[in-house]
Amino acid sequence: MASVEIQSDVTGTVWKIEVKEGDTIAEGDTLMILESMKMEIPVVSTDAGTVAKILVTEEEPVAEGQAVALLNL
Amino acid sequence: MSRKRDIEELEQRRRWAEQQGGEENVARQHQAGRLTIRERIDTLVDKGSFQEVGKLTGAGEYEAGEVQGVTPAPYVAGLAKIGGRDVVVGGEDFTIRGGTTARLDRRKGGQGGFSEDLAHQYRIPLVNLIDGAGGSVTSAKRRGHATFPGVDSFDRSVDLLAEVPVVSAVLGSAAGGPAGRAILSHWSVMVAETSQVFAAGPAVVERSLGQRITKEDLGGPDVAVAKGGTIDNVAASEEECCWMIRRYLSYMPQNVWQAPPQGPADDSVERADDELLTIVPAERRRAYHMRRVIELVFDKDSVFEIQPDFGTALITCLARLGGHVVGVVANNPMVYGGAMDVAEALKQCHFIELCDTFHIPLVFLVDVPGFMVGLQAEENGVLRAGMRAVYVASQATVPVVTCVIRKCYGMAGMATCQQRGVNLRIAWPSAEWGSLPVEGGVAVAYRRELAEHPDPKAREQELEAELREFSSPFRAAEAFGVEDVIDPRETRAYLHQFIAAAQSRLATELGPKARTGVRP
Repeated sequence: MASVEIQSDVTGTVWKIEVKEGDTIAEGDTLMILESMKMEIPVVSTDAGTVAKILVTEEEPVAEGQAVALLNL
Repeated sequence: MSRKRDIEELEQRRRWAEQQGGEENVARQHQAGRLTIRERIDTLVDKGSFQEVGKLTGAGEYEAGEVQGVTPAPYVAGLAKIGGRDVVVGGEDFTIRGGTTARLDRRKGGQGGFSEDLAHQYRIPLVNLIDGAGGSVTSAKRRGHATFPGVDSFDRSVDLLAEVPVVSAVLGSAAGGPAGRAILSHWSVMVAETSQVFAAGPAVVERSLGQRITKEDLGGPDVAVAKGGTIDNVAASEEECCWMIRRYLSYMPQNVWQAPPQGPADDSVERADDELLTIVPAERRRAYHMRRVIELVFDKDSVFEIQPDFGTALITCLARLGGHVVGVVANNPMVYGGAMDVAEALKQCHFIELCDTFHIPLVFLVDVPGFMVGLQAEENGVLRAGMRAVYVASQATVPVVTCVIRKCYGMAGMATCQQRGVNLRIAWPSAEWGSLPVEGGVAVAYRRELAEHPDPKAREQELEAELREFSSPFRAAEAFGVEDVIDPRETRAYLHQFIAAAQSRLATELGPKARTGVRP
């Protein structure tokens, strides 16, 4: 099964994770919300699939380009 | 009778030119997923409009004074039309010696040469279709000496940037001179998977630094477009690339002495989409899609984004409003809340100068919390780059309308206005501004009070709420500190009236613009 990494566009902290492993999601769905520059920045899925793994926890800092979730297509 | 033979020879020589590097090399070019230079020109220009110049150039083979064949010079150039308007087009023929320099009395193009002279003297746009690797050390052996850098000068390429639109497409692996030529353009594009661009390719990198890296990892679009911003846009195929070049030129005048072409005004300027009313979330911390705002405000299907993958907290596009060409600069709250980092600043500087040079009025859709903060940004020189954006904005003389969607803070906010001009600033009711956002600003201004307070967190929130009341755009409008507050649905009609009126000014300002001083 093909899988893709979902990356964060920004450096910030994980504020709220909106999905759990095993969830079926569509392209464009919000996986989690980060906080950066005092803004809520959604991490949206680049593809449709199921959430294979969440790679971060709430309040954890993330870097730009860091993988935050794995998706099975 | 001999006249007839002359014509036959001419036709034979033309056929040899059309054979390019021979069947085998042409097949190899196709296998690599690439078109030949002649196919590229056919795809790019108006059907049947290409008048080639220098088709007979090449190396002839003779036996007893009779020509047996000619290996064409590896550059094809000429005059053509795009959208019914004249353009100069030229490019290396990779199927002949990898598109290396031809040994001719006069260069055909690429770096100076006939095509650049033609664009310069006739004042018509130039399109470079780049597929060559530049100089080779073997040329020193042939000449008997090493050539000093600049024997083929970039001076004409530099001068053209103040005269006519110059577009470059990277359509293969470009290093050295051809790679440099691509950068000396108003707009550049490369094709995913089949093109790479770098100062020096993998072999030189390995020899110099011991780094082993593939050409795609070194100079593919992920690096050259998204990270480096070396090239502006990516096309999915050569066909799409040609379409994008035609599209880009459709916004441009033929030269800086002319005004940009008026497009069809088939989208009502009175169109007022209700979606604009709700697009900015009431919750201040929540981002929204600025690209959607742009779509709703400007003419339907008229938006062409420049550098979409670089400096992504900023959006720059060419668009039309009631048919008039406009340059749109908008902040993207989805990336760092729209903060201006080094890449965003460089992107904004280039776009402002582009529009100013070609007399394209500017519309700013503002949602900028300020320059990017943090160690990383400071290490990259965000303050210098950001002030360069302020400097460039200050030098632009093309009319500017500033529309504040949400945040407009600090020096990054200043770079969205034209204080020396009419400085028309309009705001949506969701707008807020100041020298820095209330959050963070309170912590600094009231540091002592907060430190001594029994519940600093609560007091900070109290102070923030107190100060936020003053940030209502209606209060600034009372003081004429902002020229107007508008219903978001009125944005299109309001902007249109001013952009249409600005045409009078634009018509009196045609010609090259000299920019003096030293950019920070």
